[in-house]
Amino acid sequence: MSPVAVWTRRYGAMIRNAWLVDLQYRASIVLWVLWGVTEPVIALGIWWAIAGDGAVGGYARDDFARYFFGVMLVNALTIAWDSWQLDRWIREGDLNYRLARPLNPLHESLADNLAYKVRGAGTILVVWLAAASVWPAVRLPFDPTRWAWVALAVALAAAMRFFISYTTGLLAFWTTRATAIMELHAGVGMFLAGRVAPLALLPPVVASVAQLLWFPYMLAFPVELLTGASLTSDKLLRGFAGQIVWLVIWIAAYRLAWRRGLQRYGAVGG
Amino acid sequence: MSWRHPLRVVGALVRLNVAEELQYRANFIASLLGTLFWIGTALLTLGLFFRHTTTLGGWQFWEVVVLLGVFNTVSGVIEAVLRPGIGQLASEVRSGDLDLVLARPVDAQLLVSFRQIDLWRFTDVVLGLSLAGYALVRLDRTPTALQIAAFLVALAAAVLVVYAIWVALMSLAFWFVSVENLSVLFDALYEGARYPVSAYPGALRFVFVYLVPIAWTTTIPASALTGRLGPAIALGAAAVGALAFLITRALWRLALRRYTGASG
Amino acid sequence: MAAAIAAQQLSKDFRVKVRDPGLRGAVAALFRPRYRTVRAVRAVSFEIAPGEIVAFLGPNGAGKTTTLKMLAGLLYPSAGSTRVAGFDPWTGGSEFKRRIALVLGNRQQLVWDLPALETFQLNRAIYDIPRLDFQARVEELSDLLGLADVLDKPVRQLSLGERMKCELAAALLHRPPILFLDEPTLGLDVSAQDAIRRFLSAYRDRYGATILLTSHYMQDVTALASRVLIINRGRLLYDGALEALVARIARTKRLELVLGDGVTEQRLAVFGTVKSFRAPNAVLEVPRAEAAATSARLLAALPVVDLSIEDPPIEDVIRQAFAAGGEAEE
Repeated sequence: MSPVAVWTRRYGAMIRNAWLVDLQYRASIVLWVLWGVTEPVIALGIWWAIAGDGAVGGYARDDFARYFFGVMLVNALTIAWDSWQLDRWIREGDLNYRLARPLNPLHESLADNLAYKVRGAGTILVVWLAAASVWPAVRLPFDPTRWAWVALAVALAAAMRFFISYTTGLLAFWTTRATAIMELHAGVGMFLAGRVAPLALLPPVVASVAQLLWFPYMLAFPVELLTGASLTSDKLLRGFAGQIVWLVIWIAAYRLAWRRGLQRYGAVGG
Repeated sequence: MSWRHPLRVVGALVRLNVAEELQYRANFIASLLGTLFWIGTALLTLGLFFRHTTTLGGWQFWEVVVLLGVFNTVSGVIEAVLRPGIGQLASEVRSGDLDLVLARPVDAQLLVSFRQIDLWRFTDVVLGLSLAGYALVRLDRTPTALQIAAFLVALAAAVLVVYAIWVALMSLAFWFVSVENLSVLFDALYEGARYPVSAYPGALRFVFVYLVPIAWTTTIPASALTGRLGPAIALGAAAVGALAFLITRALWRLALRRYTGASG
Repeated sequence: MAAAIAAQQLSKDFRVKVRDPGLRGAVAALFRPRYRTVRAVRAVSFEIAPGEIVAFLGPNGAGKTTTLKMLAGLLYPSAGSTRVAGFDPWTGGSEFKRRIALVLGNRQQLVWDLPALETFQLNRAIYDIPRLDFQARVEELSDLLGLADVLDKPVRQLSLGERMKCELAAALLHRPPILFLDEPTLGLDVSAQDAIRRFLSAYRDRYGATILLTSHYMQDVTALASRVLIINRGRLLYDGALEALVARIARTKRLELVLGDGVTEQRLAVFGTVKSFRAPNAVLEVPRAEAAATSARLLAALPVVDLSIEDPPIEDVIRQAFAAGGEAEE
C-alpha cells in the first residue's frame, strides 16, 4: 500500500480513538471550558478595572475584552499537554510497547492533539459566540482574508507548542523534573507570550527580550492577528518569519532529544 | 480517647510521609524553588498591573502583596494537606477503592482529608507569611495584637472555607462518576483569590463572593492584617468558617450515603 | 537453519542509587548519594530455533525481563550481542519491529476506555494489515481465545483474564514470527492461565512462531515449553529440555499443612522431611511418587485441618539443581 494511504489510515485510526476516548468523559468538557476560560477572564477583569473609561497602552476596555477572548480561543487551539503525558509514559513503562511498534510514538501524540484541540476550541468558540450575542464588545468584524492568515498563524503556533511540549517531555529520559521545566516555561510564557497582558503593555526591555525568543509566536502573534487593529504586511512578514524560524529550531531540538533520549533509555531502561 | 485517636492517626500519617519524602533529595529544593518562582511570577504580574495604575480596587501595591502572601499561605495548606488526599477521591469512587477507605476504623472524612501530606508544601505557608510580613514593613504598618488575632481567626476560617469548596467539588465525584481532574478546576477558580475582591467588575465580584466564595479566603484575612477592615470582621469570618465546616460535614454524609447506597 | 533468536555472551549492567532504610538513611541519601553497579545479565548465550517455545524461568529480579528487553530492542547490551529474526534488535528499526510482538504482563497496550476492537483497528493501521487478512485474523484469534462477546465491551469492564487474551490478540494481528511474552499468565486465575497456554501452543503449531516467555510459574513450563532457560542473578544456569529438568530436580513434592492441636514436629517427621514447622502451619517434603499415599496416611493418622500438594518453589528447584555449583554473592 502506498505510504500516503498507510499514513492516512494510521492517523485516521489514532484520531478516531483519541476522539472516542474523549467522548467518554463528557463532564470533563465542562471542566475544560471552565479551565480555559477562567484565567483570561480574571486577567480581563483586572485590566477592565485598570483601564477605566480611558485606555492603557492603547487598549481600551473593549480592546481588552476582544484580546482576552482571542487568548481563550487561540490557547485552546495551540496548547499542548504532551510533556506531562510523555513524562508519565517514560516513568511508568508505557513507552516500552510503543517503542516495540514500527511507529514513532510522536504520531500518536500528534493525533491526540488534533482530536482534543478540535473539541476544546469548538467549545470555546461556542462560548465566544454566546458572549458575542449579548456583549457587542467581543464581536469581531467579518473578515475572511484576515481569518485565513489567523488560521495559518494558529497552525504554526500549535505545531511549535507541540514540539516544545514534546521535547520537554523527552527530558524525562534524564530527569524526574521534566514537568517542572514545563511549568517554568509556562510561567515565563504568562508574560512573554501575552497571556497576562498584551505585549504592548510589558516594560520595553521585557518586550524586546520576548521578541528575541519564541514566546510571542506561541500566542500573542495569532491573537493580535485575530483581534488587533490593522494588518500591515510588515507585521505579517515579521510574525510569520518568526514562527517559521522557531518552529524549525524546535523540530531540530526534538530530533536531538529523541535520538539522545532513546540512547539513554537503552542504557538505563524504563 | 475519642479525640486522641484521630490525632494519633494524623501523627502516624505525618511520620510516614516525612520518611517517604526525605528519600527524594531534589524534592525539597524543587518545592522551594517552585514556590519562589510562582511568588516571583505573581509579584511580576502585580508589578505589571501597577505600571499602569496606582491602586487596584482601592488597594495599594504593598497591600496587594500582603494579600498575595495570604494567598500563598492558604494555598500552602491546600497543597500540603488537602490536595493529595482528596484529589484521589474521584478515581477511588470510580474504581470502588473507596470501600477500602470506608472500611477503616477511622472517620472516613478525616482519613481522606489527611491521608497524604505533602510536607514540603508547608514551606509555602512559611514563605507566604514572610511575604505578608515584609509587605507590612514596606507599608510602614505594624499590626496590633488584636489585628493579628483577627487575622489568625480569619485565616483559620479561610482554610475552612477552602476545605468546604474542595469537599463540595470532590463530592461531585460521587454523583458524576466520570469527573476527572476536579483539582484543575479548583486551581483555575482559585486564581481569582489573588486579587482583592474590589478589583473585579460587578459580575465577577458576585461570583467570587457568593458563588465560589473565595473572596472570604484572602481578601478578608488580608484586610484584617492591613487594617483595611476592623478586627470585628474576625467574628464574621469565624461564623462563615463554622458554617463552611458544617456544610462540608453535611455534604460528605450526603455523598457517602449516596455512594454506599449505590454500590450496595 | 539459522536461529530465530540468538544471544552471545549477552550482558547488561545498571548503576543504581543505594540507600539505607529508615529515616536516618533517607537523610543520608539526601546529602551524599551512593551508587553501585548491578550486573543484571551476565554473559548469557543461547540459540532458539524457529518454532520453538522456550520458557525463561527464574525468581523475581533474576534478569529475565532485562534479557527480554534486549532481545526486543528496548535496551542495548553492555557487552555481547544478539540477533533476532536476522536483525540486531537495537538497530533493526521498523523492519525488525514488524517481525516481533512484545507483550509485557504489567502494562497493556489496549486503550482502556474503548472496546478491544478499536485497539485492533489501530494496530491494523499501524502494521498496515490488508482488510481481508485483518478480518480473517480477528475472527481466528477470537475463536482460538474465546473472545466472541468480549471484543466490543470497553476494556476497563473486562476481567483480568479477558484483558490478557485481548492483549495477546492485539499483539498477534500482524502475525509476527517472534513473540516475546513477559509473565503472560501473571495474576490470572487457573482457567485463564490454562486457556492462554493452550492458545500459545495452538498458535505455534499453526504458524510456526517462535515464542519466548518469561515466567516464575512452573506450570507455564510443564504445560507449554519444550525447553527451559533457567536464569538466576543474571546467569544462565540451565538450558535444556523440560523432561531432563524435571527428572533432574523436581523429585519431591511439598505438602503444605494446617494442623490441629497436639501435633509435634517429631510426629510429623515420621512422614517425610519437615521443611518448616510453625504451629499450626507446617511444610513437609516427600518423594514425588509417594506424595498421594503419604497424604492419605497423614490424614488418617493426624488431625489435619488443611492439606495441599505443591511443586517445590522455583527457588528450591534452582538451589537443588545447582547445589554443587553455587553462584557467588555479588
